[in-house]
Amino acid sequence: MSAPSIVADTSVIKTMRKLRIPQTERNRELALLVVAFAVNVAMVLLVQLGATGEIETTLVSLTATLAALVFGLHICLRYVAPKADPLLLPIVTVLNGMGVAMIYRLDIAEGYTGWSAFSTRQIVWSAIAIIGAITVILVIRNHRVLFRYTYIFGFAAFVLLLLPLVPGLGRRVNGAQVWIGIGDFLTFQPGEVAKIALAIFFAGYLVRTRDSLSLVGRRFLGVQLPRLRDLGPIVVVWALSMGVIVFQRDLGTALLYFGMFTVMIYVATGRLSWVLIGLGLFGGGAAIASQSLTYVNGRFNNWLDAFSQEIYDAQGGSFQLLQGIFGLAHGGLVGTGLGQGRPAITPLAESDYIIASLGEELGLAGIFAILCLYLVFVGRGIRIGFLDGDDFGKLLALGLAFTVALQVFIMVGGVTRVIPLTGLTTPFLAAGGSSLVANWIIVALLLRVSDSARPARSGEASS
Amino acid sequence: MSELTLLVLRFGFLILLWLFVLGVVYALRADLFGRGNRKPAPANAAASAPAPAAPAPSRPTPARPTANPTAATVTVNRSRTGNATASNANRLVIVQGPREGQEIPLGTGPLTIGRSADSSLVLRDDYTSTHHARLLQWNEEWMIQDLGSTNGTFLDGKRIGSPTQVPLHTPIKVGQTVFELRG
Repeated sequence: MSAPSIVADTSVIKTMRKLRIPQTERNRELALLVVAFAVNVAMVLLVQLGATGEIETTLVSLTATLAALVFGLHICLRYVAPKADPLLLPIVTVLNGMGVAMIYRLDIAEGYTGWSAFSTRQIVWSAIAIIGAITVILVIRNHRVLFRYTYIFGFAAFVLLLLPLVPGLGRRVNGAQVWIGIGDFLTFQPGEVAKIALAIFFAGYLVRTRDSLSLVGRRFLGVQLPRLRDLGPIVVVWALSMGVIVFQRDLGTALLYFGMFTVMIYVATGRLSWVLIGLGLFGGGAAIASQSLTYVNGRFNNWLDAFSQEIYDAQGGSFQLLQGIFGLAHGGLVGTGLGQGRPAITPLAESDYIIASLGEELGLAGIFAILCLYLVFVGRGIRIGFLDGDDFGKLLALGLAFTVALQVFIMVGGVTRVIPLTGLTTPFLAAGGSSLVANWIIVALLLRVSDSARPARSGEASS
Repeated sequence: MSELTLLVLRFGFLILLWLFVLGVVYALRADLFGRGNRKPAPANAAASAPAPAAPAPSRPTPARPTANPTAATVTVNRSRTGNATASNANRLVIVQGPREGQEIPLGTGPLTIGRSADSSLVLRDDYTSTHHARLLQWNEEWMIQDLGSTNGTFLDGKRIGSPTQVPLHTPIKVGQTVFELRG
């Protein structure tokens, strides 16, 4: 069949193409999803066998519910985003399931059951998050729509960040004022959702302004420095991050926002000077914060001098960090086996230290599998950005993928004492509803961008 | 549950987990090494087409096209090979831009170029208009017509005002994409 007659009647051709093209991407996804479900169920069963010696079906059926929801998302993709990336969904399904199983294992150790158990809440939040992802995929049919509302997203991010400071609404947990609560029951971390809004805002803003950011300026020592007035945006974001550190006492989130902006501005302009300026500002800010703010200073001491007896015994000292490291050491190469280690000794083993818990029971082999999955996930995200035709989608996908990468680095690095530990969530694994919802929305956005990013194969345009 | 069973199950789980990772990496291979079977051109176009002369299909292309003098000079030298007609041009090759290396077989009817999704050649960049240009046959000869685009259509570096005959191997620039008609 030749090109012209097709152009003459596109709608017929579109329908024909839909009927004819086998959904290879989706079939590949389905095959991987089946393995993913098997991994998740096997992990829950092994936790039960290892910890209690018997199999109990409640949690297995709850895991199956999650699998059904993921399957629903898969079906939706077949209709509304058939060319979307086939690897993202299976990877996050496995990560989410491993998180649920590990949290369940810690609940067994602590004796939590029913609604007081972290695992039950984690499953409910996962369900909400997956439904949220389905909604995003169904509602946003073209990610370029988001470009129109760039500044609205910027404003929304700002409001979300300020919400926890509103008296009566904000909640202070473990020293950080980043939660909002309605009654005593429902608490949420708006900062997690704000990071998506910020990524959209940064992407839209940089697409609009990058020419003046990248082309103007003078060269100095081989790097092109931007004009002073073009420094405005980076200074504003820096001030915002510092505000988060000072008023909300949340080091990790500030680092996340600032890192995301620096990377996106670097990719948008291709100028190394922005990275140098960003690192300089961050270094300066961190140095000042570590000297003047006691809780930041404490984190630094815990990190540098973790094994000193004095710091180990101190209130808020390195006890927790070292318990995590002892756990990892106890796990060794292949781990103690699910349900057979003692990860519950570490405080916050189900959230901040989930990596240490997993490392203890699955060993280095398990941790590396998890890191491989994160690596592929982030790699796919960056590749989606690379493939996408328009600049907004490029920056958005890259920014979102980088957020996940940075979070993994900050958390795994913090737990393994590579960098000072700051409170973020390990994406998809750690207990925490807001983070799950935000990360599943990120997955949905990446899937959406990847659907439009896949270049039409040669010939597809006319055959 | 005996120790031995647990031990076996424990290693079994790690193996299952790694099988999943390997499955994911196996699925990645298509992107790393290309898809193997590229879709052959339709019969009428493939009849006289020699081995594809297009650049390597999956070569990574920078988002911001750098000056690409080779493409321009080579094609200028060869641009005297005559106008593209229905008989001697059977494919459109993208030589520069985000979709570099792709080919579109030419038929007998018009081929629309632009940002809108119903174009025959969809170019999504900031410098392309929704309905940017059109390639059409007129008296058996290929003509390029600008459809009132904002940034213009350039044939061999010159902006065209009226429908113009297209010589073979001559770069046509639309937005950030450059393509040629080839035999």
